[in-house]
Amino acid sequence: MARFLLTRLGLAAITLFLLSVFVFVGANLLPGNVARRKLGNLADQAAVDQLNHQLGTDKPILEQYWNWISGFFHGDLGTSLSYNLPVSELIGPALLHSLKLAAFAFVMVVPLAIIGGVVAALKRDRLADRIITVGGLSLAVVPEFVTGIMLILVFGLWLDLFPVSANAPDGSNILTQLKYLFLPALTLVIVLFGYISRITRAGTIEALDADYTRTAVLKGLPRRTVVRRHVLRNSLLPTIAVIATQTGYLIGGLVVIETLFNYPGMGRLIFTAANDKDFPLLASSVLIVGIVFLVATLLADVAYSLLNPRIRYATAE
Amino acid sequence: MDDTQRRVDAIRKDRSELENHIIDEYSAGKITRREFVRRGTVVGMSIPLVSFLAAACGGGGGGETTGGGTTPTATGAVQAGGNIRVAIIQPATEPNPIIVKDEGGAGLLGSTGEFLSFSNEQLELEPRLAESWEPNADGTEWTFKIRQGVTFHSGATMTANDVKTTFETLVNPKNASNALSALGGVLSPGNTEAPDDATVVFHLDAPNGNFPTLVSSANYNAIIIPADLDPADWGKTFEGTGPFKLDSFTPKVGAKFVRNDAYWGEKANPDGFDLKFYDEEGPMILAIQGDEVDFVEHFSVSGGQALLTDPNVQVIAIRTATHRQIHMRTDKDPFTDKRVRQAIALTLDRPALVDGLWDGKADLGNDSPFAPLYPSTDTSVPQREKNIDQAKQLLSDAGMADGFTVELNTWKGFEIPDLAQLVKQYAAEIGVTINLKITDDATYYGDAVFGSSPWLDSVMGITDYGHRPVPNVYLASVYTSKGTWNAAHFKNPQADQLIGQYIAALDIDSQKAVAKQIQELLLDETPVSIPYFYNFLSAAKPNLKNAVSAATGQFDLSKAGYTS
Repeated sequence: MARFLLTRLGLAAITLFLLSVFVFVGANLLPGNVARRKLGNLADQAAVDQLNHQLGTDKPILEQYWNWISGFFHGDLGTSLSYNLPVSELIGPALLHSLKLAAFAFVMVVPLAIIGGVVAALKRDRLADRIITVGGLSLAVVPEFVTGIMLILVFGLWLDLFPVSANAPDGSNILTQLKYLFLPALTLVIVLFGYISRITRAGTIEALDADYTRTAVLKGLPRRTVVRRHVLRNSLLPTIAVIATQTGYLIGGLVVIETLFNYPGMGRLIFTAANDKDFPLLASSVLIVGIVFLVATLLADVAYSLLNPRIRYATAE
Repeated sequence: MDDTQRRVDAIRKDRSELENHIIDEYSAGKITRREFVRRGTVVGMSIPLVSFLAAACGGGGGGETTGGGTTPTATGAVQAGGNIRVAIIQPATEPNPIIVKDEGGAGLLGSTGEFLSFSNEQLELEPRLAESWEPNADGTEWTFKIRQGVTFHSGATMTANDVKTTFETLVNPKNASNALSALGGVLSPGNTEAPDDATVVFHLDAPNGNFPTLVSSANYNAIIIPADLDPADWGKTFEGTGPFKLDSFTPKVGAKFVRNDAYWGEKANPDGFDLKFYDEEGPMILAIQGDEVDFVEHFSVSGGQALLTDPNVQVIAIRTATHRQIHMRTDKDPFTDKRVRQAIALTLDRPALVDGLWDGKADLGNDSPFAPLYPSTDTSVPQREKNIDQAKQLLSDAGMADGFTVELNTWKGFEIPDLAQLVKQYAAEIGVTINLKITDDATYYGDAVFGSSPWLDSVMGITDYGHRPVPNVYLASVYTSKGTWNAAHFKNPQADQLIGQYIAALDIDSQKAVAKQIQELLLDETPVSIPYFYNFLSAAKPNLKNAVSAATGQFDLSKAGYTS
């Protein structure tokens, strides 16, 4: 197990390094420059040059990269060029917001999707299966902003049940915060349900058709026991992997949902940083999301290996 | 039932469903009188009939368009106290008075900061931190008397030295100040002095009759800050002298302000207000409809159609000088001949553009930067109208009867791509083929200097210009031979001379006399076509009164409050 973890951590480190290089170079390839974004399109070029010099963005890209990455490993994420604030002061609250929304969405969608997928598999090719699979996929292909706006119109404006924005007032208790987060989380549930439930359904069908399931049934075990002990344990393996891969999207990719619900999460932060060519903020944000993503996939791999001894033994050999 | 009502009922029996719908909307206050007249005539009602109905049916709520600068929501008695929730667009940068260049940032600066004077809805200057001002005989020197007994929120006394240092910082090229767009070439570093605590004297580079406007709230960077405060640190305290002071500021999220009980003037009515930042206007629209904010500082016609017909929202329309310029390079074919430029300008159907792109909430442009709202604009100059026959004749006279092909550069923002497409269609009516090259704004503006900017180097382009309470910056930067924004490469000694005279003129009559000559000259030369000047729109809940909005992104809530 230790070797398995070390291998995974080593790969994660290489991935993060490459990610940081790609983001930094990519951001520099975008047209425009920081000072012009700050001062405006009509600003005098001398003023733009002066500000670029003050910000240090006129230095060679390698030097800028080195300054940033060496600071990063010392716990200094740098200073935002757009907001003149330590990057950590911007990323900290945004990451917390994103984690709250992602956790709430996960708590809602994971049980629902797993139950939906299992029910669909058990009722294969019957009405319940058709409703869950076709309905789930139909909702999943609707763009997030369409789903979000429909939910806002129905539950926010017409029925007046939930707030139309996601950020609760300062000092709100947990219930109030959940009330504010409900509509964006529901949007995510609608987006993710079809995907996760379909994977669960496929895994469950495969497990149901497996020899060990037939053997368990022939042994005379009750159906509920067969499903719980033999089917679910194997059918959830691909589901865990899929859920883990959604972490990156949920933490750093919700630009549309965060914008629609005016929620100050990582997605909006990364988007505006890219727009402003705010290198330290952009690179640090992406790297943080990358770390969260890699931790999630690492945990998924661990869970995977715990549930599936074949993987554990293969890595140990 | 009185006679008027009987006549109205009799008229409505004979009108179509559409006409009755418009009358209903007007009676319910959903559309303004101006909008009622416009729509009524479009659907076939005669002017006398529309006028009678407009008078008989009342209505007209929902915010009449008012004259530029600033305008309030409905006015009247309000309850004392309260906390007002305001939605503004996300500030683009840190709150630093030196570099703020956008509406969101201007809103932050004006929340706690004050200016020497405040540019009001009639484009008049109301004294604030300056009690009075006067020029010398030729307008090269302006002396401001600074209000005494004013304190900053920290408790320190505000003096003339703070004013002097503020402006010295703003005009210093090393500081990369955004205020240089208005003060560059007008006030040089070292030319502001404070002979005593109550007096500031500005020694200008050249005579300037509108200088007080350039140092008023119209120049949103020009809030007065303490002399010993580094502008880069302003965002930590929002130090100012205004009726509200900072309670808390959360970057990317919002800010809270509370009443400044030590304010030198009439104390603010509300206990405070909350600013909420939005990246897009769509969520702002939903927020006011969902009762999560009381005041939306700015929205557009295209993004806020839902508010324009919402009876639960007050819409405030402010006439502005915000416009688009379609430049045609006077030094490059095919636009070296002014008749070709005139021909292009004659293809534009301006009323259709105003209706189609702005739902009627815009003034017609007449190919000069003298917007109808400026007091100095001479409205007797004939309005240029669409005339395809004349345009074809002009092209023929210029030896281009078969038309030509040209590339139009612009960027993807606001309604500009739609305008570009319509310009292309209009030009096709006289045989001119326009190929559109639409990029992002960073590409279009490039380095914003000649030689490395599609904006300044392209043969034809469309550029956006924000509101200015006086046309000085447009004139000096766009239309003079040495203008740094002269995308048309227009070099005309007469224009240079007239613009110099206009900027130097100290009174409105003198300005108006020169303005007429400039308007006629630019209409004839047409280096730039300006199809419209569009309104600045704000929205408020019906129970919010006395909230004042400005076309530059500022707002004044000091007298605002709720009726219930």
